[in-house]
Amino acid sequence: MEAEKIKDLLFKYNAGDAGPGDIKEIENLIEQGAIQLDDIEGFGKMSDQIVAFETPAPSRSLDEKFHQMMKQERGIDKKAIWKNFFSSMDFMPRLAFASLTLLLGLAVGYILRSPAKKDEQIAVLGEEIRAMKEMMMLSLLEKESATDRLKAVSLTEQMDQASKQVTSALLQTLNNDENVSVRLAALDALRPYSKDGQIREALVRSIAQQKSPLVQVALAELMAELQEKGAIDAFKGILEDGETPSDIKKKIRENIQEI
Amino acid sequence: MIKVRDGHLDTLGLLFARYKKPLFGFFYGMNKDAELCEDLVQNVFYRILKYRYLFRGEGDFKTWMFHIARNVNHDNFRKNKLRFKDSIEDWQDRLGTEENRATEFQRDEELQLLSMAMDRLPEDKREILLLSKYQDKKYKEIGEILGCSEGAVKVKVFRALQELKTVYAELEKHN
Repeated sequence: MEAEKIKDLLFKYNAGDAGPGDIKEIENLIEQGAIQLDDIEGFGKMSDQIVAFETPAPSRSLDEKFHQMMKQERGIDKKAIWKNFFSSMDFMPRLAFASLTLLLGLAVGYILRSPAKKDEQIAVLGEEIRAMKEMMMLSLLEKESATDRLKAVSLTEQMDQASKQVTSALLQTLNNDENVSVRLAALDALRPYSKDGQIREALVRSIAQQKSPLVQVALAELMAELQEKGAIDAFKGILEDGETPSDIKKKIRENIQEI
Repeated sequence: MIKVRDGHLDTLGLLFARYKKPLFGFFYGMNKDAELCEDLVQNVFYRILKYRYLFRGEGDFKTWMFHIARNVNHDNFRKNKLRFKDSIEDWQDRLGTEENRATEFQRDEELQLLSMAMDRLPEDKREILLLSKYQDKKYKEIGEILGCSEGAVKVKVFRALQELKTVYAELEKHN
């Protein structure tokens, strides 16, 4: 476009008489580089004023945060790492476990040196190991991490005979743990003790509390295995529940028939 | 920055000292919350450190940094989306606080009014004007940040200035 025409267009725009078509044309000319932004009245001054705006300065804490970040990146913060290691929630049970294992190792060594009392002392040691595993299991069950709670449940599988405290902790886990895998593991761990009348009753009561289809089916299979007729009523509730998936209902019905 | 990328992390301290203020100014222009802006500046340098190997050294460091800053600001905006859906009452409250801030930082009355007009612009228009300010009107570099041509950036700046002029005139009328 000729320089004269551009001049006219700008004059029209600066006078406030430009229509949408003129503005579109000005935009095209700006895009092509034929009009500079500073050619438009007031724009140059306005952009200079924007540049002149004062901005508050950041505080010193920004510098501190930055240097802290750099320190961590360079791996200088070893002190903090050690501090974190000792203050970790997992550290105390681990330390207790390690110390007890060391003491037990020393005791085993001592017993093997004196064969007379061997059998009796090994029995005492066995009892102590069992108690220690129980303590470990109960402390791990309290953890927030589902992996830790799974570890706790799997510890019971290594016990020849779990105490009442352990089975009730497992039942509590089965009824209340938020994680389905942990609840299933707890049910598996309880399986060897299901011949006990009280545990069996508690398992039947647990049926009504389960919302997860996986746990419901696992319980139905266990009840069929145990031929527990008392469970049929509890399963009826699940079968009547509209939210239960049809596949699960089918599976539960098959197990009820086996009972 | 090439030195930082190659493992000389201490050099990043120099870049931080040089650019923390413009970056803070950019975020302050967008959010008007000093504490939040410090976190966002820190976040930009955290990303620079984390993704330093992605700096190819072909372009300008400042352009790359503002590209990251823009992403950080958008992420923050998305995170606080609900906070920005403010009601008319909140908007009125904000006007009050903006005026206070403006009085604090802009002594000149004309600049105060222009600053208030800036704060009333839509986010994209405010952003292009702030990028233009902190990138010293280098429209080609701004185009690299926004992913568009130099000409398209100029048109965006034109539209933003046009709206700024209108808002400014409105404010002046009511002042």
